[in-house]
Amino acid sequence: MLGRLDDVVERSLRGPSLEEEAFNRLVVQGIRRVVREYEIRPEKGVLVSHEEALIDRVWQAALDFLAGCGVYCQSTGRVIRFGREEIEALLHEAPAEIWMGEGSDARLERCRSVEDPRPPLNMGSSIGSPVSEELFVPVMVSYAQEPLVDVTCGPSLMTVRGREIRSGSPLEIQAAWREVEGMREALARAGRPGMAWTGMMLSMTQAGQLSAAGPLGLRASDLHTFGVISELKTNFDILNKLTHTLHIGGIVDPYANPIYGGLAGGAEGMAVMITAAMLALSVIFMATCVGSSPTHPFHFNDTGPELLMASSLAFQALARHTHLMTNLTVTPVGGPGTETLLYECIAFTVLSTVSGASRILGPRSATGSIPNHFSGLEARFNGEVMRAASRLRRNEAEEIVRRALTKYESDLDRKPYGKPFPEVYDVETAQPRPEWLRIVDAVREEAVGWGLGLDGVGTE
Amino acid sequence: MSEAFEALERAIRGGDVAAGAAEAARMVQAGRSPKEIFRDCIEPTLADIGDRFSRLELFLPEMMEAADVVKAVQEALRPHLAADPSLRTSKGKIVICTVSGDLHDIGKNIVRAMLEVNGFEVRDLGVDVSPAAAVDAARETGADILALSALMLPSLPYMRDAIDMVRQNETLRLRLKVLVGGGPVSRDWARAAGADGYGDDAIEAVREARALMGTAE
Repeated sequence: MLGRLDDVVERSLRGPSLEEEAFNRLVVQGIRRVVREYEIRPEKGVLVSHEEALIDRVWQAALDFLAGCGVYCQSTGRVIRFGREEIEALLHEAPAEIWMGEGSDARLERCRSVEDPRPPLNMGSSIGSPVSEELFVPVMVSYAQEPLVDVTCGPSLMTVRGREIRSGSPLEIQAAWREVEGMREALARAGRPGMAWTGMMLSMTQAGQLSAAGPLGLRASDLHTFGVISELKTNFDILNKLTHTLHIGGIVDPYANPIYGGLAGGAEGMAVMITAAMLALSVIFMATCVGSSPTHPFHFNDTGPELLMASSLAFQALARHTHLMTNLTVTPVGGPGTETLLYECIAFTVLSTVSGASRILGPRSATGSIPNHFSGLEARFNGEVMRAASRLRRNEAEEIVRRALTKYESDLDRKPYGKPFPEVYDVETAQPRPEWLRIVDAVREEAVGWGLGLDGVGTE
Repeated sequence: MSEAFEALERAIRGGDVAAGAAEAARMVQAGRSPKEIFRDCIEPTLADIGDRFSRLELFLPEMMEAADVVKAVQEALRPHLAADPSLRTSKGKIVICTVSGDLHDIGKNIVRAMLEVNGFEVRDLGVDVSPAAAVDAARETGADILALSALMLPSLPYMRDAIDMVRQNETLRLRLKVLVGGGPVSRDWARAAGADGYGDDAIEAVREARALMGTAE
């Protein structure tokens, strides 16, 4: 891997020189070209595509696009580019499975196929959402104690010992270590000290993440996560995080979150862009697993119909043509205490499961931007949905996704963020309050009526 | 819209820079005033493009290209526009950037494109911009509004630093408004930090910018 890293760094130093604005336009032109040439025209209204010729064209378009466009390195103003044959050869080198965590808490993630009967791993967490210091541990206990949660991820501390965290300052490093301490305490309290986790989501610079990655912090058996900048951009901070992770033998778990309506345009372009971005994560960032949470520009979620359609096309393309381990994050607008959140989880998670995702993250409730608006109960529910959805065919999934979407689509503009953690959980016991449980039970019962086999899940 | 403007409108919507500039120059030579061209064609066309983006009927690339055409038209008509101050086409001058510690630029780029198609003159400083550099650029360009974006929580202190720099400057605080937005920014945070305006998304950013310029519709 270190030889491959040298090659990537070399290309970042010697690749074609380009102004960033010119690269943006290269992305626009490239996406438009392949959408036209490969006739990426999804059938209107179909959310879980079963048109395999179209899915295969998305794959071909993404390969063609990435080979022509590459990834832009902001630190050098150069493009890291791999040819199509190089990309295809390097994809064969990617791992197909990986153990995460330690001891009896370790879990095996494996690549999945379309309609794979094995459920994806459940990374139950609020993923970088802002959290108050005093709530970090009880919130994390609420996730880690759930039997259907396999691995987890921390929220982002809003302060450290009462101080506002400032990017690139010593406070960023302090916050990273405070997160490690909090996570260790929460996992121990939940009785799952070996559970794999990822975090340091607020460390935009390398300072926090690199400081806290090692045997005493984020271990080699944990996931080392960093985001690529939309669209298809990196820099030396990101490559430094990658370099450190490779040296400590950590699990490389990067993500790319393309923006709907941005440089890739609409759903057709987004399907190609998501696919291409996952390939870039594997080839250029030597990812163990690749992930995405494509984002709506006004709702900041990924549960609207256009992104559902694009995600399904992209992840089916990846599942049909590679053995990559792929993950999606459910980012609903709904928050704890709302039915909206649960319907969004059903739609997104059913679709992701039958489309071949090997791990599903979240829910990043209330768009992941409202302080303390998340709880472990929605991760339990999402885990149930994954298991029930792994028994579905795509046509059955389509029907359920459509019914769920009908229940929440009109809520997206309203953004029902719900209630903060202390209003839906008893903070002392880290147990959900009866009202929140009743809402979950009612939606579960309704979804069973739609044909989603949630009855009996969790007691298997 | 009048048939006389059909070719220019088509060029703007199609992102055809050469055709747009040529058509605008041709119309002026034929006796059409630049004021009419902007008032009766460019402004309503751009407003419609902005509206359609807000409904996601078209996307960022189309907005970027429409803005490119209008810049080319302004360039082609520069001698006429410069000669008559009443022909000032800008709704206001804005300096925009993503603040220190944050490298995300798509959200900021969407806001920039929306501001441009809504008639604002925008200078984009890019990402990871220090508070001092942002305020200096606003001062040097004589900007009316400094628009600051952040996607990451630990970038907010830098955003507040920039607001403080403007507030503490006797001259700047009288003429420069600060507009903020981005994932971790809330209306309450913006108010507490002393910002003049807050946009939850690109649509609201344009609305706020108009309000700050006293041109709200």
